[in-house]
Amino acid sequence: MTSTVTRRGPGAPGTEQPEEPRGQRSGVAWLLDLPANAVRGITRSAATTPGRLSLIATGLVVLSLLTGLVGTLAVQDRGNTIDGLIDHREPLAAAAQQVYRSLSDADATAASALLSTGAEPAELRERYDFDIAKAGAALAKAASDSAGVPEAARQVNILSQQMPVYTGLVETARANNRQGFPAGAAYLREASELMRAKILPAAHELYEIDTERLAAEQDDAAGFPWLTALLVLGLLAALIATQVYLKRRTNRVFNVGLVVATVAVGIAILWSAAAMTVQSVLVSSGSTDGTEQVDVLVRARIAALQARADETLTLVARGGGAEYEKEFGELSGRLAGRDGQGGLLAEAASRASGEDSAGHIESARDNAGAWLRAHAQVRELDDSGEYQDAVGLAIDGGNRDGAAQAFSRLDQNLAAAIGAGRQNFLDDTTNGGRALTLLAPGFALLAVIAALGTTLGIRERLREYR
Amino acid sequence: MRTKQLGVLASALALLLAGCGSPGAPVDPAPVGSVQPPTPANAVVETDVAADGGTEDECNVEASLPADGNIAAGSTMAEIRERGHLVAGVDQNTYLFGFRNPTTGQLEGFDIDIAKQVAEAIFGDPDAIRFRAISSAQRIPALQNGDVDIVVRTFSITCERRAEINFSTVYYVAGQRVLVNESSDAESISDLGGKRVCAAKSSTSLKNIAKVETKPVPVSVDDWSDCLVMLQQGQVDAVSTDDTILAGMAQQDPTTKIVGERFTDELYGIGIPKDDEDMVRFVNSVLETVRGGQWQQSYDRWLRERLGAAAPPKPLYQ
Repeated sequence: MTSTVTRRGPGAPGTEQPEEPRGQRSGVAWLLDLPANAVRGITRSAATTPGRLSLIATGLVVLSLLTGLVGTLAVQDRGNTIDGLIDHREPLAAAAQQVYRSLSDADATAASALLSTGAEPAELRERYDFDIAKAGAALAKAASDSAGVPEAARQVNILSQQMPVYTGLVETARANNRQGFPAGAAYLREASELMRAKILPAAHELYEIDTERLAAEQDDAAGFPWLTALLVLGLLAALIATQVYLKRRTNRVFNVGLVVATVAVGIAILWSAAAMTVQSVLVSSGSTDGTEQVDVLVRARIAALQARADETLTLVARGGGAEYEKEFGELSGRLAGRDGQGGLLAEAASRASGEDSAGHIESARDNAGAWLRAHAQVRELDDSGEYQDAVGLAIDGGNRDGAAQAFSRLDQNLAAAIGAGRQNFLDDTTNGGRALTLLAPGFALLAVIAALGTTLGIRERLREYR
Repeated sequence: MRTKQLGVLASALALLLAGCGSPGAPVDPAPVGSVQPPTPANAVVETDVAADGGTEDECNVEASLPADGNIAAGSTMAEIRERGHLVAGVDQNTYLFGFRNPTTGQLEGFDIDIAKQVAEAIFGDPDAIRFRAISSAQRIPALQNGDVDIVVRTFSITCERRAEINFSTVYYVAGQRVLVNESSDAESISDLGGKRVCAAKSSTSLKNIAKVETKPVPVSVDDWSDCLVMLQQGQVDAVSTDDTILAGMAQQDPTTKIVGERFTDELYGIGIPKDDEDMVRFVNSVLETVRGGQWQQSYDRWLRERLGAAAPPKPLYQ
């Protein structure tokens, strides 16, 4: 306790300051004069060579340490961004994608289930249940990150509010349908309307937001570290300039301390340039071959799913389905182009040439063709009044040439290609992160070596003036 | 020791200060504004339904061309026979009249029975028929485009429609009534002033609702079954249309009831393209036969339980 008292004693703060004659002046006035006094002191010392040398040494040490600090933090931060990409940002974008996909699939599956005559096929029921469970789990994951992004929070809010309403309507449709009541189909159309008008747009928006955030962080992680580069090059220039100055003053070519410092800074520049270049190239390639490719594939998959829902809903609507069929035309155009050779699948194929996913995308294009041919047949049958045959061709999972199988093969191909794209992202980004291994402590160490070298080198010269 | 005292004093002061500020009310962590219940696609509250009641008596609604059961070479029926099947535009969503039985996948109902009788007359086989499901609004365009040979789909004969297509003789007389929840006090359409009443788009029922003096609010949907959905979800107070359609709805939901007297007469005819007058005569002769026995059989099977006993309407020819 007594020690506390002495520390709080009135004389204590004063001892930390240099013994400036304070006289009657107050502490505040002395503080205000401090910069002026410092400038005066510096100009006085700059007038003599030893004074100038001390100033240069101090400047170089401060610059070395500052560069070390900034550089180390920048590398550390970059490493954290990469870890965040892998552990956090990409999984979230994938979760948002999962919400979108599962809900679209649920919409298509519920319609297929209602079309089946007699008892609902167990596999369709399971698929629907699985979709809803998956959407719920993925939504919880996506929601965990939406705080602080009001637009994302709004979409999560819509999704969490409307999803239970949707499932309720589907169950009502199912209950009515089991009793043979046409109201079942009406409830299903209402459920689908809710899905398309409110839920899917929100899921789409959420997916877009998460994908944009992912892209932004990838840009961050691959960006050029301007501040560090400026400082480290400035430091190198200052070291060289000092050596040139010393040579002129003392006629001695080498100063070991300063040479060591220069070499340390040089190594720091080369190391970080190499590591960061490798890292940015890898992160960028993780972005182009990974996430951007995944984005194209996801859009293709969603277009396919919604078109599939349109295909079945046209049949569920039983005569009132012209709008669904029109939308099918638009979506299949987006998926595979007007001629079946373009669209998102062609874009994905051209991006994937040489990649692992190229094979999956090639099969996806074949299966999309098979599906669109089957669809044309379904429409022909339905339009000529062969409703039962049309339904059979559309939903019978046992028919190899049927729309159901072709579509599910297409969906599997796209899922595999998306998986491959995500793997690309993970591989490239992880390797990019590895390129930075030890760079942060190494940079700090080299900066300290530069500072020490400078101090020792200049002290040696200063001694000669004593 | 002085510092300790000071510390105690300071913390007491801090506590006192904190105690003075109001803690505020607890926040609602997830505020929810108004909840919008889901509605069927394209459900619209109609503010302006064309009330074209003036044209009602400008033609003789019921009178059709005289019956003629012969199939001459080159006639419409001969073409249909050539094709191998009759194409009939029907409803798949109106319980008891035209609906797909989910357990069998087959179309069933009163209208379906009538359409099959036409196929039977042409081919001698009631199953030589392909059904095309169409919505209320598609009935006239489907005939005009030649997508279907006949339309048997709770199709009321009106002068306005007669200008665009042909009708057979009347095969069923329905009348507009009102379907409400079991708990409702309404006893007729006039008791529903200011309340929402549902009907299908471009149906005569929708216009009739708009004409009622107490001004019910017409709500239009794509399909009749959407009306039942809206009634069950409490978004409309009543559904008003032909008692035949209402009977199908009441059959699907035991907590509803049909109330009021018929306030219109809806004369159902089979719709036939304007140019196919031979087909009109032929269908009229089929209906003559149907009135002889098949009509009663179908009626008893589908409608008698809900609508009571009835007899086939007498045909009227030009």
